[in-house]
Amino acid sequence: MTDVDIQLKVNGTVRRATVPPRLVLADFLRVNCGLTGTHLGCEHGVCGACTILLDGEAVRACLVFAVQADGSEITTIEGIAAPDGALSPVQAAFRDHHGLQCGFCTPGFVISATALLQENPAPTDEEIREGLSGNLCRCTGYQGILNAVRAAADPGTD
Amino acid sequence: MSAPEAPETAGYAGTRVPRVEDARLLTGHGTYVDDVTRPGMLHACFVRSPLARAKILGIDTAGALALDGVHAVLVAEDLNPGVHEQWYTLIGRDSPDTPRPPLAEDEVRFVGDPVALVIADDRYIAEDAVEQVVVDYDPLPPVVDYVTARESGELVHAAYPGNLAGELAGPPLDQLAPAFDEAALVVRETIYQQAYAQVPIETRGLVTEWSAATGELTIWTATQSPHEVRLFCSRLLGLPEHRVRVMTRDTGGGFGQKVVPQREDMCIMLAALKVPGALKWIEDRQENLLSAGQSRHEHADARIAFDADGGILAAAIDYTQDVGAYPVPWPVGTAAAVGMFFPGPYRIPQATWSTACVFSNTTGRNAYRGPWQFESVARELLLDAGARRLGLDPAELRRRNLLRRDELPYFNPNGMPYDDITPLETFEQALQMLDYESFRKEQEQARAQGRFLGVGTCTYVEPTTAAMALHATEGATIRIEPSGKVNVYVSGGSAGNSIETTVVQLTADALGAAIEDVNTIQGDTAVTPFGGGTGGSRSGSMTAGAIADTAAVLRERITAIAAHRLEADAGDVELTDGWARVRGTPDSGVSFAEIANLAYFQPEALPPGVPAGLEASGRYRPEAPIIWANASHVCTCEVDVVTGKVTLLRYIVSEDCGPMINPNVVEGQIAGGTVQGIGGVLYEHLAYDEDGNPVTTTFMDYLLPTTTDVPDIEYGHIETHSPGPGGYKGVGEGGAIGAPPAVINAVADALAPFGVEITRLPLSPAAIVALVDEAQSRQTGESA
Amino acid sequence: MKPAPFEYHAPAGLEEAVGLLAELGDEAKALAGGQSLIPMLALRLAVFDHLVDLRRVAGLRGIERRDGSLWIGAGTTQAAIQRSAEVAEAVPLLARATPLIGHFQIRSRGTIGGSIAHADAAAEYPAVALALGAEFEAMSPRGGRTIPAAEFFTGMWTTALADDELLTGIRFPVRPARSGYAIEEFARRHGDFALAGAAVAVELDGPRIRRCGIGLFGLGPTALRAAAAEAELAGADPAGVDAEEVGRLAVSALESVPADLHGSAGYRKRVGAAMVARAWQRAVQEAGDD
Repeated sequence: MTDVDIQLKVNGTVRRATVPPRLVLADFLRVNCGLTGTHLGCEHGVCGACTILLDGEAVRACLVFAVQADGSEITTIEGIAAPDGALSPVQAAFRDHHGLQCGFCTPGFVISATALLQENPAPTDEEIREGLSGNLCRCTGYQGILNAVRAAADPGTD
Repeated sequence: MSAPEAPETAGYAGTRVPRVEDARLLTGHGTYVDDVTRPGMLHACFVRSPLARAKILGIDTAGALALDGVHAVLVAEDLNPGVHEQWYTLIGRDSPDTPRPPLAEDEVRFVGDPVALVIADDRYIAEDAVEQVVVDYDPLPPVVDYVTARESGELVHAAYPGNLAGELAGPPLDQLAPAFDEAALVVRETIYQQAYAQVPIETRGLVTEWSAATGELTIWTATQSPHEVRLFCSRLLGLPEHRVRVMTRDTGGGFGQKVVPQREDMCIMLAALKVPGALKWIEDRQENLLSAGQSRHEHADARIAFDADGGILAAAIDYTQDVGAYPVPWPVGTAAAVGMFFPGPYRIPQATWSTACVFSNTTGRNAYRGPWQFESVARELLLDAGARRLGLDPAELRRRNLLRRDELPYFNPNGMPYDDITPLETFEQALQMLDYESFRKEQEQARAQGRFLGVGTCTYVEPTTAAMALHATEGATIRIEPSGKVNVYVSGGSAGNSIETTVVQLTADALGAAIEDVNTIQGDTAVTPFGGGTGGSRSGSMTAGAIADTAAVLRERITAIAAHRLEADAGDVELTDGWARVRGTPDSGVSFAEIANLAYFQPEALPPGVPAGLEASGRYRPEAPIIWANASHVCTCEVDVVTGKVTLLRYIVSEDCGPMINPNVVEGQIAGGTVQGIGGVLYEHLAYDEDGNPVTTTFMDYLLPTTTDVPDIEYGHIETHSPGPGGYKGVGEGGAIGAPPAVINAVADALAPFGVEITRLPLSPAAIVALVDEAQSRQTGESA
Repeated sequence: MKPAPFEYHAPAGLEEAVGLLAELGDEAKALAGGQSLIPMLALRLAVFDHLVDLRRVAGLRGIERRDGSLWIGAGTTQAAIQRSAEVAEAVPLLARATPLIGHFQIRSRGTIGGSIAHADAAAEYPAVALALGAEFEAMSPRGGRTIPAAEFFTGMWTTALADDELLTGIRFPVRPARSGYAIEEFARRHGDFALAGAAVAVELDGPRIRRCGIGLFGLGPTALRAAAAEAELAGADPAGVDAEEVGRLAVSALESVPADLHGSAGYRKRVGAAMVARAWQRAVQEAGDD
């Protein structure tokens, strides 16, 4: 099958590549770009571990072909902290509230929470739960994650 | 020498120290097995059986081999003869075991059974090739339902008549006949639990790299026990143990599924020697739900005898579990635990049990967080049913029977020697946190309005830190490096249990070091001491023991050097925050950096008899064979009887895990286990149709609970010390044990006005509606 | 779990897109947001030799008033619909249905046209379109045509669209005065496909019901209209209507109700009746308050 030339920006860096059309964006990020923080937990769009920002919106990187992302701007978990390693407010809240255990689902949760709070900086508890319900975690029972996002939403109430 | 003032509190244990794992995991810089890439690495994918049971008549690999980028298609005759020895250290060489071929040989025994292994340039091509492998099957009638398997004319394994993998039993039930015959009430039910599974968000996987020239095999894998993988692999392939190196940095959840290597892992290890370079297999989610194992699938005929006041007279359980086609490891011993723990933390004068493990043509049973959990499900359901029939409040019935501290140590009627537990205290604390009495009033008012609220509880006692075989000991090596910074080496095998943070906390305390000066190295068998890894709720206590034993050696050395340097008596030297100080003179002291400098670079300045360097290894062997822990779960819910939807309102866990090393970690373990238990009752079901086809092989069908399905969890802590180091107890598994009975009992309590009794799981909305329907038609029938 | 290989086409215009579909026939599939298609490709439940990506095709996106209707381009994402004040004002039922679709990470890619053309029987948008009497604009090499929602869903995952025909836009009637809308569904978890659901639109005329549209989902091979219940309600005085009776009537004639691990056909019908009743009550209340 005919490979396709694509160009996109990942965490601020321009990437050009020639890829098979069937290459899933998550694999492109992990294998071609070496950005292994985007995790694959189901590859059919349910678990949310591969969530990234595509042109500012949270999407499942397993449900996008790399060719569809041609011309777009992507932020992965590696692009969320400051270049000097300082954690983003969402990341710091996850650390402060035991929002992760094994860490495998964590990049997806951090991206989803980041997008959720960008769209709605002061969500209700119900909105937080709904907003995170598209990401699966098997370690935390979600308690620490919910507390983290509550705190990141309104650091004053911590 | 002037030292900074000694801090007021030096203890890191007991505090909510931020995790050392988090910085890398939050920024996408963890290293899970799928993140490992090696030069020239090839990719593997399994051809799996589409049939539950069939003879393999032939395998045609030509079409697959003709594809560009396909390197090999390996079948059983290529791989299976490579097996030298195959047994788990966890169980022991001399234990009986069940069959476990790497690839299926002449017969496939479940849908998903690995039949061939394709090796290709990448996973995409490997999956293309899998579709081109043509297997000629002759279908055989499968044994799908383990409940009827013992009477089936078909056998899953020809060598096991009646499809019986094994059975064990206590004394004959007849011996208890007087107690049951004379009881005021005997509650007897057959209780059935559906199959569900561990479902870590990271699937299984490994990367192998064989160097024929040096005879060395390196393995990166997702495991709870790197050293078990190394030992197992060395035996499997007949390689010397020190020529196998297993590395695990981050593992994305295990919950028992990654305790020991399974058949696919064996295949990749065997194939490793047949490919020129590195080989990667990453299980996909469909494979995980097809073939990574099942748990919980079981039922029992269980009975409890009560006197007229609700006092328990006797208990008996006749238990059968589904072990699928290829259980991992040998299941019979764990099944017996269901029988032996059935009496739980209650005062029960007499009991007996029998347990059976039955094969079926489904995925193999394997370890899952609290593998004996059914003892609590059966017991706690019967207790609530007994209370309803006696007209007693279920809390009151439990109060009358829960063990009191003044009764300890206590041998349960099956000989389990409980001690250092507080079941009555956790129960009362949890009820108090709920305000049980006012909930009962709220429930009454709601019922008057046609709303159905319920409360359920579960109190259990569990064995943790069982010190046997692979788990008998744990080692640590501590190196205070020449700069005074500390590296601690333990076996590791964290799959989310925060053991890196725990080790750093414990070591800082044990040495009197500053926590930021302590680092830990885990998961690499080439550099870490042998250890059993994560499993059996053992990491906290065992690692604490290993660190305490090892650090004691270094403390003594540091103290001697400091005393010599400060011209003080060793008995007056205190170690805190990376400094050795003389008691009473806080402004003078010598830093660990300076002591290390002496120990490594000026050995001539050391006091006589003190060895050079600051490195020690130790191995902890616990005196107690088991550390008991206990907890009470209390849950309230509302049931919509139209749709069958269950909404959990409050969820309280009061637990006694001894002193907490890190309350965040403890609460995280409790919450994680609890939500798995909630999932197991209300959402999860690893289901097969009657032909043995699995019907829940995607996350669209296998339903894990999400943020909208779980309540806020409230924690209560009761603290009694175990006989182990620091008084710590295990806490990893309990949540998954206590949650299901509490949730089931809450639903049953909500539906009590309809006369519903719950004996069959899961409680899907449709199942709940059916229960209400059945109860109503039964009542209509009775009144007609 | 990797998709089989395919050729990729990203036409820049509608004509080119339908030309490609005509040329490639049933070996080709149009790719919009991909949120339903890509999982099926990953699981290899669906295999196509060619995918025709619509992302560069001009004129498929947008939300605007046209001739008294609200036109929504087929390529408009569910996220854009959810954010649109225009949709909330003019087609409240669509606005209320949107947050029920999957999760927000799905809605950021998923399109209304993709959802309608995929025609999953348990999806929300087809039922909303039926309840509101929406119209679908389609284009093929033979030209454009308009298909009423009631004629669009022909069977399980099948529609009135020809192989070379693309859904380009949907026209929803703008909410009239004295109308009310509600959607109720029951799913195992938030974001899952519904086991049963109902979208209800009620328009009042004086003291009586002028029109009631009831779209059912999860209750048959396609989204369905509860025609008998709709007919019974038209012209009725809502004060005399028993909501539970509406629910019963809405599901009474259903055949081919799906059954699986999550619920039997009988269970789904019962829950469906309850969802109709709940949605009806909320919709008629809103219409009365309007």
